[in-house]
Amino acid sequence: MTAARKRTRILAVAVTLAVGLTAAACGGSGDEKAGTPAAGQTLKMWTFKRSHADALNKAAAQFKSETGIAVTIEAVTPDDVFVSKVQGAAQTNGLPDVLELHAGGEDLEMGASGLLSDLSADVNDAWKQRLLPTTRETGVMTQQRIDIVANDSPFKQVKPGTRFSVPFTAGAFGIVYANKEKLKAAGLSADTPPKTWEEFLDALKATTAKDPQQGGLSLGLKTSQTGFNWVYQPMAHSYLGKEKFQALFAKGAAQGFGSPDGVKSLELYSRLTPYWMPGTTTLGIDEADIAFAQGKSAFDVGGTFTLAFLAQNGLSPDKVLTFPIPPPAEGQNKEISMSPLALTSLGITSTTKNREAALKWLDWVTSPKGAGVVAKSSLDLPATDLGAEAESLLGADLAALQKYFTGAPESAYDAADVTFFPSDYDQVKPGDVMVRLTPLKEATPEQTGTEMDKVMGAMWKSTQ
Amino acid sequence: MTTLTVKDRAGRLREEPPRGGRPRGRWKEILTGWAFVLPAVALFLVMGLYTIGSGFALSFAKWNGFTPEWLWVGIQNYKDLLYADPSLAPEMRRAAWNTLQVMIAVPALTVAIALPLAVTLNSIRRLRSLLRSVYFLPYVTSGIAVYYAWRYVLEPEGSVNLLLRALGLGSLSQPQGFLGNPSTALPTLILILVWSSVPVATLLYLSGLQAIDPNMIEAAQIDGAAPRHVLRRIIWPLLRPITAAIVLLGVRDALHGFQIFLIMTGGGPGGHTDVLGLMTYRLSFFKGLAQTLGVASALGWLLFAAALLLTLVNARMLRRIR
Repeated sequence: MTAARKRTRILAVAVTLAVGLTAAACGGSGDEKAGTPAAGQTLKMWTFKRSHADALNKAAAQFKSETGIAVTIEAVTPDDVFVSKVQGAAQTNGLPDVLELHAGGEDLEMGASGLLSDLSADVNDAWKQRLLPTTRETGVMTQQRIDIVANDSPFKQVKPGTRFSVPFTAGAFGIVYANKEKLKAAGLSADTPPKTWEEFLDALKATTAKDPQQGGLSLGLKTSQTGFNWVYQPMAHSYLGKEKFQALFAKGAAQGFGSPDGVKSLELYSRLTPYWMPGTTTLGIDEADIAFAQGKSAFDVGGTFTLAFLAQNGLSPDKVLTFPIPPPAEGQNKEISMSPLALTSLGITSTTKNREAALKWLDWVTSPKGAGVVAKSSLDLPATDLGAEAESLLGADLAALQKYFTGAPESAYDAADVTFFPSDYDQVKPGDVMVRLTPLKEATPEQTGTEMDKVMGAMWKSTQ
Repeated sequence: MTTLTVKDRAGRLREEPPRGGRPRGRWKEILTGWAFVLPAVALFLVMGLYTIGSGFALSFAKWNGFTPEWLWVGIQNYKDLLYADPSLAPEMRRAAWNTLQVMIAVPALTVAIALPLAVTLNSIRRLRSLLRSVYFLPYVTSGIAVYYAWRYVLEPEGSVNLLLRALGLGSLSQPQGFLGNPSTALPTLILILVWSSVPVATLLYLSGLQAIDPNMIEAAQIDGAAPRHVLRRIIWPLLRPITAAIVLLGVRDALHGFQIFLIMTGGGPGGHTDVLGLMTYRLSFFKGLAQTLGVASALGWLLFAAALLLTLVNARMLRRIR
C-alpha cells in the first residue's frame, strides 16, 4: 500500500468517526427535545377529512409563527384507506405524531389497542372548560364503556379515566337542509321551518307535487344506515321519549321495535316513502348532498357538517333553510333539540418522539383562537366553545345551527350515547332492514318491527 | 461422409471431475444459480408464503389490526360464519346465495353470447379486424371508471331509461333506476359482468376456432349439415376445453370479485346485491375497529376452498372430455 493510500484510509476513518459522533450527539439532543417543545421541530399529523386539511394548514402556519413548531398535515381519504394506512403504520412504527379521528369510538379503539398516548394528566380542568359541555368527556374511557363490551375486547385492558383524545369538531346528525327556491316555488315559506314531522311531510308533499322528479328528499341510502341514524332515530326519540326509545334496542326487546309503540314509530317513518328522490338508494352520502346542491332534490338530510360540503359544491348557505328532524305532533317531546356530540378528536400517538410539541399543538388548535381559525376556514363547528365570537368566526348561517343545541337535557337527542346498544353493534344491519321498509316498500312496519327485533337480538347474542 | 460419435454423452456437458472431490467450477455454477434465484425466492417467501401463512393463522384469531397481539379463538371464526353467530351467519348465507346466482349466470351467459359471436366473427370476411377490435373494447376499457360510467347510464334519468321512453317502452323503464330497484339490481350487475367478460371469452373461442381443421367443417357441409348442426355437432364439442376454461374464469371472478358491487351498489339496495367478496372487504375495513380481521380472513379461506373444489371438479370434467 502506498503512503498516499494509507493517508486516505486514515482520513476516511477519521471522517467516519467524526460523523458518527456528531450523529450520536444530535440523537441525544433529539431525545432531550422529546421532553421540551422547541422551535424548529416538525410534527406530522394525519386527518381523514379532506375538508379539514386546508383549514389545519392555515392554523399550522399561524402556530408556527407563534411557536416555531411546524406541523405537516396529510389528509388520507376515504375512511377505509385511512384506517388501513394507520394499521400499516402501526405495524411498521411509522405513525405520525398526531391523528385526527372519529370521536367517541375510533379514538377509544385505537387508544385501547396501544396506538394513542394517555392525555388524562395533560388535559386539565381549564382545558376542559373551553369545550362544549356535552363533548368534554369524549375520548375518555369510562367504566361504563368497559363494562358493556365483550370480554375479549381491548377495552378491558384499559384503566377507567384514561383519555385518548381531545374533542376537536362537534355537531349533530339529523339536520334537514331545504332549498329555499323550491320551497317558494311550492308555495311554502322559505323562512319558517316545519314545526312537526307532519308539517315536514306536508312540505315534502307540496314540493314533490310541484316537481315530482326534483322536489323530493335526498339521502345517501347506499350507506343504508343513514336513514336509520339520521332520520328515524331523532324522530323516534322525540316521539317515544328517551326511555322508550332506548328500550327499542334493549336486550330481550320487551318494548322493542315490534311493540305497538315501536311499530307506530316505524309507520311514521315509512310515511316518507312517496317523497324520496328517485334513485336515492343508489347514492352515497356525498353524492346525495351533491344532488341536493345541484337542485335535484328539495330537501337533504345530513349533519351540521353538511353545510360546509354544500358550500364547497356551490350552494350558498343563504339559499338553504336548516332545521333538525322535527318531532311528531303526538310525540313525547314537542320541541326538538340536539346534544352536540364531538365528531372528530385529536390524539397523540404513543410512538411519537415529540410528545410535548404535539401536546402544545393540541392545546393551541383547541383554544378559541386556534379553533376559530379552523372553523372559519372549514365551515365546521368546533368542539371548543367560541362564546360571543362564534358568529363573527363561523358566519351567521353556521352559528345559527348552534341554536338547536340548546334545550332540556332530558328531551335532547344525544347521538353520542351508545350505552344501550349491543357492544358489537353493527349499524348496517338495521340500516338495511329500514331501507326495505322505505323507500323499497318490501316490508310493512309490523314486519319491519319483527325483523329489527331479530337483528338486535342476534347482535346481543353474538356479543355475549 | 464422416460420422461423429460421442462415447460419453455426459462428458459433452461437463468437465470430467478431478479425482478426490467436486470441481471448483461446479460450486461456482451452483452459487451463481442460487444468486440469480435467491431474490425471487426471498420475494416469494416474504410476499407470498409469509402473507399466505399469516393470513391463514389470522383466520384462527380475533384482531382489529392495531393491537400488538392476536386473540386466538381456534376454529370459532369458521363456526361463526357457517352457523354459530346469529348475526353473521344469516348475512353470510344471503351473500352466498347472491354469489351463487352470479356464479351460475355470468359464465352461462358469457358462453351463450361469446360462442355465437366468435363463430360469426370467424366466418365473416369484411371488416373482420375492425369488428374484433370493437367487440374487444369492453375488455380494454374495463375497470373502475367503466363501473362509474354504467352507474350514470343506469340512473333514473340515465340514458337507458331515456332510450326506453323514447322507444315507447316506458313501461320497462325503472323510475328508481336499474340499480335502485331490488328486482333489477342484481340482474343488471350480472349483465354488466357478462358485458365485461365476453371479449376475453370471444378471443379464446376465436383462437379455438382457428385451430379447428377447416376440412372437417367442409366435409360436414358437403354432407348437408346446416350451420346450426355444424355448430352443435362439430364446433361445440371441439371447443369444450375452452368453454371449461371460460366457465372456470367466470366462477373464479364471481367468487373473488367485489369491485363492481362495491362501486355500483355497495351491496344495496337493502343488501340485495351483497356478495361474499364484498362481505369479506366489509368485514376487513368497514366494521369500525371491531376485531373482525380474523373472521374476514376465515371467509377468504372459505372462498379459497370453494374455488379449489370447483377447480378440481373442472379438471375432472376436462379429463373426461378429453
